Amino acid sequence: MPTTSPTISATMAARAVDAIKVYGSGDTEVHALRGVNVGFERGRFTAIMGPSGSGKSTLMHCMAGLDRLTGGEAYIGDVAISTLNDKELTRLRREKVGFIFQAYNLVPTLNARENITLPLDLGGGDIDDAWVDEVIDAVGLSDRVTHRPNELSGGQQQRVAVARALATRPDMVFGDEPTGNLDSRTSSEILTFMRSAVDELGQSIVMVTHDPISASYADRVLFLDDGKIVHELFAPTTDSVLDAIRDLGH
Amino acid sequence: MFKLVRRGIAANLGRLLLTLASVFIGVAFVSGSFVLADSLRAVFSQVSEDIFAGIDAQVQAVEPELSSGFDLPRFDGALTEDIRALDEVEYAEGGLFAFEQTYTLDDEGEVNRPLGPPVFTSSWGGPSPVSAFTLLGGEAPAGQEIAIDQLQADTAGFEIGDTLTVALPTGQPEEFTLSALIDFGEGGAGGSYFNLFDLATTQRILELEGQVDSIVVAAAPGTDTDTLLTALDAVIPEGLEARSAEDVIADQEEEFGTVIDLIGNVLLGFAIVVLFVSIFIIYNTFAILVGQRTRQLGLLRSIGASAAQVRTMMLIEAAIIGLVAAVAGLFGGIGVAWLLKQLFSTAGGAFPDGPLEIQPRTIYVVVVVGLLVTLASALIPAFRASRVSPLEAVRDGGRKERSMLFRVVSGSAVILPGLILLGFGLFADIDGTAERLAAIGVGGGLSFLGVSMLSALFAEPLGEVLGYPIEKVKGVTGRLARENASRHPQRTATTATALMIGLALISGVAVLTASLLRTFDQLLEEAIVADLFVFEENQGLPFPAVVVDELEKLPEVDAVAGFATIEARVDGEVSDVAAYETATGIEVVNVGVSQGSIDVGTGGIAVLSDRAEELGLVLGQSVEVEFEDGFVTELTVEAIYQEDGFIGAPFVVDRALSSEHVASDDVGFVGITLAEGFDITAARTAVEAAVADVAQVVVQDNSEFRAEAEEQISQLQVIVIGLLVLCLVVAFFGIVNTMALSILERIREIGLLRAVGMTRSQLRASVRWEAVIVAVFGSLLGIIMGVLLGWATVTAVPDITGLAIPWTQLVIYLVVGAILGVIAAYFPAARAARLNVLDAIAHE
Ligand SMILES: Nc1ncnc2c1ncn2[C@@H]1O[C@H](COP(=O)(O)OP(=O)(O)O)[C@@H](O)[C@H]1O
Ligand SMILES: [Mg+2]
Repeated sequence: MPTTSPTISATMAARAVDAIKVYGSGDTEVHALRGVNVGFERGRFTAIMGPSGSGKSTLMHCMAGLDRLTGGEAYIGDVAISTLNDKELTRLRREKVGFIFQAYNLVPTLNARENITLPLDLGGGDIDDAWVDEVIDAVGLSDRVTHRPNELSGGQQQRVAVARALATRPDMVFGDEPTGNLDSRTSSEILTFMRSAVDELGQSIVMVTHDPISASYADRVLFLDDGKIVHELFAPTTDSVLDAIRDLGH
Repeated sequence: MFKLVRRGIAANLGRLLLTLASVFIGVAFVSGSFVLADSLRAVFSQVSEDIFAGIDAQVQAVEPELSSGFDLPRFDGALTEDIRALDEVEYAEGGLFAFEQTYTLDDEGEVNRPLGPPVFTSSWGGPSPVSAFTLLGGEAPAGQEIAIDQLQADTAGFEIGDTLTVALPTGQPEEFTLSALIDFGEGGAGGSYFNLFDLATTQRILELEGQVDSIVVAAAPGTDTDTLLTALDAVIPEGLEARSAEDVIADQEEEFGTVIDLIGNVLLGFAIVVLFVSIFIIYNTFAILVGQRTRQLGLLRSIGASAAQVRTMMLIEAAIIGLVAAVAGLFGGIGVAWLLKQLFSTAGGAFPDGPLEIQPRTIYVVVVVGLLVTLASALIPAFRASRVSPLEAVRDGGRKERSMLFRVVSGSAVILPGLILLGFGLFADIDGTAERLAAIGVGGGLSFLGVSMLSALFAEPLGEVLGYPIEKVKGVTGRLARENASRHPQRTATTATALMIGLALISGVAVLTASLLRTFDQLLEEAIVADLFVFEENQGLPFPAVVVDELEKLPEVDAVAGFATIEARVDGEVSDVAAYETATGIEVVNVGVSQGSIDVGTGGIAVLSDRAEELGLVLGQSVEVEFEDGFVTELTVEAIYQEDGFIGAPFVVDRALSSEHVASDDVGFVGITLAEGFDITAARTAVEAAVADVAQVVVQDNSEFRAEAEEQISQLQVIVIGLLVLCLVVAFFGIVNTMALSILERIREIGLLRAVGMTRSQLRASVRWEAVIVAVFGSLLGIIMGVLLGWATVTAVPDITGLAIPWTQLVIYLVVGAILGVIAAYFPAARAARLNVLDAIAHE
């Protein structure tokens, strides 16, 4: 496992170069990202930490193609997101990227399995049922596939969301505090699953978290403050993360 | 995709059903108007075919260009013998038919007649194999015998063998024995009464000795119709023609067709108005649904749904609703048609029985209309849905309001051209009322749209003002109601739109009819100078002119004039011409003579000023006039007059001249002024006695007559408003829908209020008062719009001169609007109050 920052290169699953994001204009101008350079390697699990308002969500949204940067560029593989039109961007979101939100991210009228296969259905291609079953099995939802979201617990709902993000075998899965709403036991189940997706399936994942324990599941932790990356940590443990946070003055 | 749509529909079933209901009503009316018209057409063509069963040809007079009455021209019946003598003819029989001439009388000496349909007098065509009539019982009439239809017998309580007194055009009632009951064709003739006599008696009582108006002919075996027609042509004189039965049937169908089309088109007009209102409601519902689903739409976009997919999804949803509504509406239309038939029947019209016709045309039109209306209304919301950003999936804080600026700009962009067009229609120098009305119609429609777009601007201040007294009286619940109504101006405006449109239409019509009424009143006041009037009570049908002669003899009567409307060719153009005793007519009706003297005599004519200008006629000039009997004469223009409102024709001639040249000497009404020194009550009794033999007429004094005339317009108003109330029903569905949606939007907030101690009844009260504010807001805007549009129309139509605004009615509408709001809020309020507090707070 590397212990130094990898050189950002086009072979990476996703990267941002001089990423700048400004919300509003004039008096209400907010600089959410002030020139972020970051790359996420394939088959790695990265955590992003930082105080509230430091730009973590903004970074996730812009890198996942949900929002556009004001300056700089974000890439998925070697595709520059800013060059894509709406159609291409939609395709990118459907095929190359998975996103796990903190909450409210299932379609309430569809059951668990339908939610998981939704991106595949939207793509209109044939669905690899064996793979879908494998994912469902892996997240431990085999006996819940016909349940609607309101019949599932928070942890189960989030597992469905993770399974949905993985179902398309995307280049990169982004998670914005995916365990933020869950108790510690459910959190650890989800994180263990994400970890195994990285180790066994070679999935690339990056997630935002506030919790040092959650961060310790990752291979690498990036610290963001006021729109800039201020620190990073490799092979983190709960203690090393806590130390880093203390050192950064929070 | 389909799955999502299907589930989406299932999840929002209730509100979509409400949306569906408004499409349904509109579509049902479209379907109903087609079904009714088609069914009537089918029934009437069946009747025509029944009547002509067994007949191959008919000989009749060539349809004249000029004819004042409803009856066919008569000719010498001796021709029947010549036709019978032909080898090609198996059978021939002359017939005589008349419209509104004889009436059976009841015990009080009053005429028996149906309320709407006419009474026919006819010769009995039997016992031939080709009779139009079917004997239901008894013997064919002969001599002093009469046969009547079953309906009349049932209504009046006559039985075969009874002696009936029958009022005749001679003015001398006679007694006849009821010999038979008959049916016309098979299945009756739409509630009409029939009085049948043998041909000779018919000729005698109609004072048409030896005359017939048709000869029906059956071909000898082995003779085809063409051969028969050729043979007939050889014996019939100039002015008559032989026509095949098919041709005659086709003509009759066409005649019925015009009336039926009119009924159908009126219904269709209402359908269009209802659909117009529905469009707003469907649009609203979809717009709100999109707003509420923003988060979900954002989620779909974030996991890779394309804009086109989201749009398609919304449109499929709309298409399904449209289709379901259309199919339901198709069947609903059958219900509407049935209901209207019942309605006409209870009003005395006795619609002919027959199955309801559903033609393929009805099905396509209805399905296409339902689908298109729904899809068109959902188009803008669907586009808006497709533009939801994927980030909406994570953004908190519900629906975003559109910026005021955007609303002002887009609203103004619609309303300005609307107002300009409206102003143009009102004040510009346009020829022709149709163009003017078109400008006003389109301008009004655009202004409508614009106002509904801009109404959010007024929602906040008006909500505050309307809410103020409620807050004062109801305290905290009133305050919440007021705040909720003014906090989201767009939501309030959207909810109110449905009501606004409904009320705008109704109040517009109210202003229009009130103005019509006032105009009519003014007209009558100026035009009518007679003390007493004699006219046919039921429909103002013509009656024999002998009445005038009778009245002239009375000492109580100073001046009397009988008014007839005939057709004549004046200066080469066929036109209506009023005919009355011009010497005395001036005492009875004021036509506003501006030049010359209205006493034109038998050698003169009076011309309406507008028409005189058109034709370039001036006083003293002579003009060629041809009467229906072919008589041509030169008449001198003796007078120019201004007011045709009451006599309804652009020319006046003396009846002494016209009565010589018309088939039946009838008048539409008679006006009388009394001689000095006679009391009106006594005089009236004398007049009534003098006209007693013409049983169908009544005598009224000036004010009664005016009241009666006004009554007829008021009835029109009631019918129109009644049908527009349907728009209110649609609007009601709309407001229930939007109200429910607007509560749903706030479930979390409601949970919070309940959590901090608001009681259920307080919650209900606050929702209810909010509804009142919203409803009054919508009604107020609607009424203002309606009054403006009504005023605009009144200004545009030159014939309506007296603008009247029915304030009381408008206030009633406002109250009704508020009540509708409260009713609409009932279910959402109850539902909100029933919510479990925790569920509500956890609600997304
Ligand atoms: N849509 C937005 N409009 C304006 N400012 C925003 C918006 N989203 C985020 N911000 C601002 O950008 C900064 C970074 O926000 P965010 O990326 O959500 O931070 P984090 O996720 O690290 O808490 C904050 O100051 C936030 O207020
Ligand atoms: Mg965040």
